[in-house]
Amino acid sequence: MRILVIEDDATTGAYIARGLREEGHVVDLIADGRAGLVAATGGGHDVLIVDRMLPGVDGLTLVKTLRGAGSTAPVLFLTAMGSVEDRIGGLNAGGDDYLVKPFAFGELSARVAALGRRPQAVEQETVMQAGDLSLDLLTRKVTRAGDEIDLLPREFALLEFLLRRKGRVQTRTMLLEGVWDLSFDPMTNVVETHVSRLRAKIDKPYPTELIKTVRGAGYRIDG
Amino acid sequence: MKRLWRSMPLRLALVLVVLFGTVSLLSLAASYAFSRSAFEQSIRDDLAQDMAGFRAAPSARAVALLVQAESEETDPDRLVLSYVTPSGQIYGNGAVARDDEGFHIISLEEGRAELEGEYLALSERLYGGRLTIARSRAEIEALRPVFLNILWISLLPSVLIALSGGYILARRSQRHVEVIRGALERLTGGDLGARVQSGPRWSDDLVRIGTAVNGMAQAQERSVAALRQVSSDIAHDLKTPVQRVSVRLETLAGQVSGGEAADLVAQTRAEVAGISSVFTALLELAQVENGALKAQFAPVDLARLSRTMVEVYEPSAAEKDQALSFSGPEVVMVSGQKTLLGQMIANLLENALRHTPEGAVINVRLAQDAEGVTLEVSDNGPGIPAVEHDRVTQRLYRLEQSRNTPGNGLGLSLVDGVARLHGAVLSFEDAKPGLRVQLRFPAA
Repeated sequence: MRILVIEDDATTGAYIARGLREEGHVVDLIADGRAGLVAATGGGHDVLIVDRMLPGVDGLTLVKTLRGAGSTAPVLFLTAMGSVEDRIGGLNAGGDDYLVKPFAFGELSARVAALGRRPQAVEQETVMQAGDLSLDLLTRKVTRAGDEIDLLPREFALLEFLLRRKGRVQTRTMLLEGVWDLSFDPMTNVVETHVSRLRAKIDKPYPTELIKTVRGAGYRIDG
Repeated sequence: MKRLWRSMPLRLALVLVVLFGTVSLLSLAASYAFSRSAFEQSIRDDLAQDMAGFRAAPSARAVALLVQAESEETDPDRLVLSYVTPSGQIYGNGAVARDDEGFHIISLEEGRAELEGEYLALSERLYGGRLTIARSRAEIEALRPVFLNILWISLLPSVLIALSGGYILARRSQRHVEVIRGALERLTGGDLGARVQSGPRWSDDLVRIGTAVNGMAQAQERSVAALRQVSSDIAHDLKTPVQRVSVRLETLAGQVSGGEAADLVAQTRAEVAGISSVFTALLELAQVENGALKAQFAPVDLARLSRTMVEVYEPSAAEKDQALSFSGPEVVMVSGQKTLLGQMIANLLENALRHTPEGAVINVRLAQDAEGVTLEVSDNGPGIPAVEHDRVTQRLYRLEQSRNTPGNGLGLSLVDGVARLHGAVLSFEDAKPGLRVQLRFPAA
């Protein structure tokens, strides 16, 4: 993907750019709001990463202007504040997602991947598969290696969410938002406990592990 | 009505009525006394003049005839003429008698009845006889009802006008005071945009108070705005370096593989995450407390949110053998901000899970009645001593007994802040054993 990063802090900007390039993306890094707006209106970027506070034109105004000009490129806001008001403000201005500083690169990478794939994410399969596991949305049955596995409704929803995004890392906050429709900051490892329960049912009894833990980021099911 | 009775304009009107009434009464009484004495003096003068007229007569016989003639045409109720000749014969329209009670005037008509009323009399010896002239005081007595009427006619309307004027003014000023009180209440509730809207009929002193309140609110709004600017500046200026540290630590973590160095990096990363969470919580708290988020309120199903939260935390509870359950109606709607309410419930649940031992029972109960919505989180753990109930919502405050458990001392401050933002009241009770945290939302 071609990604435009508009971030005034040199260290953070360079870190994001390097990380994304290592993942094989093409990155344009700009440190100033005005120049960023010019670069963004040029088009051709699959995802924009925009800091809320920028010299020149601030992040909110930049995205509002872009949306006003008809740009539909997905935008990920970076914010130092990280509170509800900022989140709502950012999303109202036309942002698609937001990330609170300080963040781990894994979280950023997972969210960028999710944004970049957003248009294709509407898959209408009724049976999803990963390795020898299959999940049937109509009968709500999960089987692995021919064994039927009994899942609680929320475990089923969690597995479905991971399967729909097969091959892509899903962070803890993405899971909370996607499976439970909650956006809050848990102090404890609530998501881990749900994942380990699911693993106990679908992974533990079998030789290969389907749900992979991605260090510093989240979880992923590989096909 | 009772409050109206105690209002300033009505009290002022009452004091004025009493003052005005007293002064009117005193001046009427004085003019009454003055009129009486003037009347009396004029009667005395008349009597002296009458007497002088009779004195001019040449003999006793002439006096007797004069008295006789004049008394023919005189009403004894008004004027009594009486002449007792030296030989004891009585002429005139009345006679003066005397007994233990004093002098009386007796009619010379049939029956010789005593004449009613008071008289002023002048008596003199004349040519061996005694001439007595008495004039009735009835005219003076007639002054009394006249003055009483004057009193009623002048005083009653003024009292009525003063009282009803006072009442109307009191009602009006009560309305105006109510406007000021409403603005102050909204300001206290965190709506710093609230202002006193004074009208053209407002009295100057209330307008001045209103202007002062608005000035205060504006100053408050400015300082809050300045504070918000400062806190977002701090957030930006301090979180950016924290971000850099975290970036470098992450890079470092990728370069060291195992051993003591890797442990150190991991510990440092945890510390940085802790610093960041305190920052985020403090900033969140600042935004919740300024009340501006009220603009984002929408209907939220608190029952669904509570159930989801309980479900999210259930496996964490199960890991410590704790039982976490929810009881309440299917749907309970409140007006609020979902993310904040979710964070609030999360903080309460995390507190309950963290501060109770293995095997504890934790229940989230939701109830709705005419007075509003009650959300309760109760446990059967060690609880909080009653003396600490007021202190636990203070920022960064931690109980002695929980110094060594994880947490930053901001969880309950945020719960309290979110509750206040939603007009809810947070309270702590002894669940005997354990703690019951109660949140009461007002009816919509």
